Amino acid sequence: MTTLTTLGVLAQAAGQVGSGRIQGGWGYVWACYGITVVALVLYSLSLWLRRPQAAKE
Amino acid sequence: MSTPRPRPIGLIGATLALLRKDLLIEWRTRARLNAIVFFALATLLMFSFALGPDTRLLEKNAGGYFWLAILFASVLAMGESFRVESENACLDGIRLAPADARAIYLSKALGNALLLIALGIVLLPVMVALYGVKVVTGFVDLGTVLLLGSLALSAPGTVYAAISSNARARDVLLPLLLFPLVIPALLSLAKATSLVLQGDPMNQLGSWLGLLLGFNLIYWGVGFVLFPRIIED
Amino acid sequence: MNKLIKWGLPVVGLGVLAAGWWLGLAWAPPDREMGDVQRIMYVHVPLQWMAMLAMFLNFVAAVAYLVRSNASWKLDSTAESAAEVGLVLGALGMVTGAIWGRPTWGVYWSWDPRLTSEAIMLVTYTGYLVLRRFVEDPDKRATWSAVVAILGAINLPIVWFSVRWWRSLHQVQSSPKTVDPQMVLCLRVSAIGLLLLTIAMLMHRYRIALAERRAEVALPEALPGTGGAASVHDTPKVA
Repeated sequence: MTTLTTLGVLAQAAGQVGSGRIQGGWGYVWACYGITVVALVLYSLSLWLRRPQAAKE
Repeated sequence: MSTPRPRPIGLIGATLALLRKDLLIEWRTRARLNAIVFFALATLLMFSFALGPDTRLLEKNAGGYFWLAILFASVLAMGESFRVESENACLDGIRLAPADARAIYLSKALGNALLLIALGIVLLPVMVALYGVKVVTGFVDLGTVLLLGSLALSAPGTVYAAISSNARARDVLLPLLLFPLVIPALLSLAKATSLVLQGDPMNQLGSWLGLLLGFNLIYWGVGFVLFPRIIED
Repeated sequence: MNKLIKWGLPVVGLGVLAAGWWLGLAWAPPDREMGDVQRIMYVHVPLQWMAMLAMFLNFVAAVAYLVRSNASWKLDSTAESAAEVGLVLGALGMVTGAIWGRPTWGVYWSWDPRLTSEAIMLVTYTGYLVLRRFVEDPDKRATWSAVVAILGAINLPIVWFSVRWWRSLHQVQSSPKTVDPQMVLCLRVSAIGLLLLTIAMLMHRYRIALAERRAEVALPEALPGTGGAASVHDTPKVA
């Protein structure tokens, strides 16, 4: 628990540092996360579709 | 005394015998050499058309175009080198002879390298004329680059040609496998050749030749070790 | 496969990854140099690590397949699954890297040794997978693709050095990273989450590959009809 509160304090302190030299750019960030999520979902779907069928002979 | 089996001729003997056989086949028709020479010449010409008449640009990039032309031609040549053997199951015959599989690799790779060296020798004067370059640091350097470059392309190329000649869609497969692999070689060849053609004020040629030598050592070694697994049944 | 692992691993992995990303997006401070754009690190870097891991697994499986005299289909299936999963992760890593490069370097692509080596890595393993599709005989496919995997893996360090050398004669591309402890935590959590997901994907892909191999080997040599190649991949719909 103590670590969590410490982290919370750290987070508040970090908020006051101010954002970096490059302002904004959240569009790029969301694009990266979005592409990754979509691609991984699609790949998982393809894995599921290709799943081996239990051979019933 | 009465042993019917002939004495085994060893790795080097077998390599030389196979190389002699390949060169003889090549010499009888000269079909492969003719084809790749004209293909490479056409490629060199196409580069100058694609770039337009800017001779300065051509001169600056001559080394890269020269090696790209050889690389494209080498894909054709190396693919063909195993097609000859697969026609009447010749490869099986050679292995039953019995020849060491590593001797087959060495002879094929050396044969391909010799073919590329011949191609380079034919192509050089054409490049000099077409692109308006001159050999600044001397023909010994140029010869070394040509030798190391031909060996560097043929060592991995022969391994992949053996693989792709038995696969479907072999014409697509060989470049797809080979091109990413020879990028370090191509890069140093283009650099080294432009240094030879434009002068080498900072003495960089040696390090590029060293890189090529290392590339050769690695791929000749790996090919030598792994090739027997490729053609085994 | 154990049901618990089959379903538990992806769920836990998703949970950890979501936690890591949430921490990275909402809690970690923006970078001093790059601002919020730096948050791409928590998706980009784990992807790259996992791609490397998968390719390394592919290399190990390929070497083991060639070295062992009685190598089983398990090694071949491992190599195949690792190459495919690694290719997906690596491609994503490169796309996210390019998007990250746009605001920080000003361009999507630079001939940086790492980027170049990765692009070549992706082409190499695409070739590997294409080769696997074009060879019908499972024995030959396994051996040949193992050779291609080894040659391709050996090539990567050579590419890295040669490109670095090639570029160093022109300019040095550097991306300074000031790494905060909070950032390290987010990165680690995301990486562990993605690691679990990667293992789950590898296991599922491995099962598919192994089932395919077994079907190919069990298939009688001469099936009715000459289109043997096509019928191998058709799952028998008719009972």
